[in-house]
Amino acid sequence: MTLPTPPTPSTPPPAATPATVAPAHAGAIDPAVVDPRLPIVLDRVSRWYGNVVAINDVSFSLGAGITGLLGPNGAGKSTLLHLLAGLLRPSSGRVLIAGRPAWREPSIYREIGLVPEREAVHSFLTGRQFVDFAARLQGLPDPEAATARAIDVVDLAAAADRAVGTYSKGMRQRVKIAAALVHEPPILLLDEPFNGMDPRQRLHMMDLLRSMAADGRTILFSSHILEEVERLADGILVIHAGRLAAAGDYREIRRLMTDRPHTFRVRSSDDRRLASAFLSEPAVFGAELRDDRLTVRVSEFSGFTRIVARVARDADVRLFEVAPTDDSLESVFEYLVSRR
Amino acid sequence: MNLLDVMLTIGSVTARSLLGRRRTILMLLLAGAPVLLGLLVQLGSGPRPRALVPTLDGVLITSVLPLVALVFGTASLGSELDDGTAVHMLTKPVPRWAIVLPKLAVAGGLTALMLFPSTILAGVLIGGTAPDEMAVTFAFALAVLIGSFVYSAIFVALSAATSRGLVIGLGYSLLWEGLLSGALPGTQIVSVREYLRGIVSVIAPPETLESVVGGTGFVLAAVAIVVVTIVAALRLARYEIRAAE
Repeated sequence: MTLPTPPTPSTPPPAATPATVAPAHAGAIDPAVVDPRLPIVLDRVSRWYGNVVAINDVSFSLGAGITGLLGPNGAGKSTLLHLLAGLLRPSSGRVLIAGRPAWREPSIYREIGLVPEREAVHSFLTGRQFVDFAARLQGLPDPEAATARAIDVVDLAAAADRAVGTYSKGMRQRVKIAAALVHEPPILLLDEPFNGMDPRQRLHMMDLLRSMAADGRTILFSSHILEEVERLADGILVIHAGRLAAAGDYREIRRLMTDRPHTFRVRSSDDRRLASAFLSEPAVFGAELRDDRLTVRVSEFSGFTRIVARVARDADVRLFEVAPTDDSLESVFEYLVSRR
Repeated sequence: MNLLDVMLTIGSVTARSLLGRRRTILMLLLAGAPVLLGLLVQLGSGPRPRALVPTLDGVLITSVLPLVALVFGTASLGSELDDGTAVHMLTKPVPRWAIVLPKLAVAGGLTALMLFPSTILAGVLIGGTAPDEMAVTFAFALAVLIGSFVYSAIFVALSAATSRGLVIGLGYSLLWEGLLSGALPGTQIVSVREYLRGIVSVIAPPETLESVVGGTGFVLAAVAIVVVTIVAALRLARYEIRAAE
């Protein structure tokens, strides 16, 4: 196994290779953008239980990199991951893993490492035995060595010979991740992988996932903690009420939200004069000066960034800072979820 | 991939899972019930050959065997599907029949391991060691051995097919085999109990038991194992995770 060692803190994050998910802010993604050559493909997939629609006409394809799967509780995140893992049959559409249908095709599990959200693990097995079980079922030629390496990667060697029943929640997560990694799959599907981990373990796991993505792996993880997704993911998929609400780089998605004004915080040598100057610009909706802070609301992100320097120069004001205040992932997520 | 190694791995984890302390004690108590009955007979009047067939047929074959097989059979796969541990096994590149076979073998093996000695002991204590009685006892022991695997296969398949495997299995044992077989003899053709009685009727001395199926009980038992194993593998191949979001 050649699982990469976590990068040193000075190592820059891997180049953003956002999932070749298409930005899909305005409605469902056009299925035409689905690239069937990519490791993960959902093509017009729906899944319903009786009259309840859990996943509704979702299409996307993912390549190497880390993609965060976001959505409120009950939005369909786990259903989506189960469809990808071949644990649910799509009611319509197709789910392809490495070019093969995910449903009823056990051979895809050579390509997939799955970390399910449920904690269930045989409590009588030690961590080592649990990972070894996975290694043997993968048919690895040297399961003991692969097991030892996977346990090292998740930093669980000290507790590997204890029964899983004695593990903390975070340790259970890590042993599940070790079992998912033991055969070095090119695709990782992780359902709330950081649940129960302490901050140090979280950072370690994020570093590990980053380095694996830099190695060319396709990683899709769900999380309800936006900060985790913001720090880790190259791109996001937002699921809401079973539909794909958005996909791609969240900053890009924010820029596409043309029906919602962008807000910038501006610091300058003379905020009052600059505010007046901005108000004469058609792209600016409003400027507010409160507690010595100038906040400017504009209709178009890139339009404002083009004019801001000129307006300041014309008004003879020195700019110290221009920063968007509402392009955080949290802001984007709240907007996407509330508008539907 | 060495499928034998894979099946041994699955079998060993299944065996450890089934031999949890409480379940093992409960099953040992159940398996020990006929022996306890035999001890009481011994302590009372000594061996009673006339009670041998009714006890082994009425208690072991009819009640104890299906119950022990039901517990082991449904727990070997159904419990893992219910509590989510099966996901770690199902998301591996292993053909589904290679999951079902070791589950069936372990459930059947454990049932047989508990009930084969129990049958012999109970038979000796109740019927004594005269040649005819010993022949009857061994005929029932062989039937129990075969029945352990037939019943386990059925209950493994049931738990692969439905989350209510335990209830349906209990219904099959109590209602179908217990009540309907008596009232409607035609239903005996799909009764494991009747297959086992057929096996006993062929091996034991003449007129030990009467059976509708007779010697074809061997064939029917074998067919039942093969059919339900295939059904279980097919159902597991179409298994959908039960706890959706």
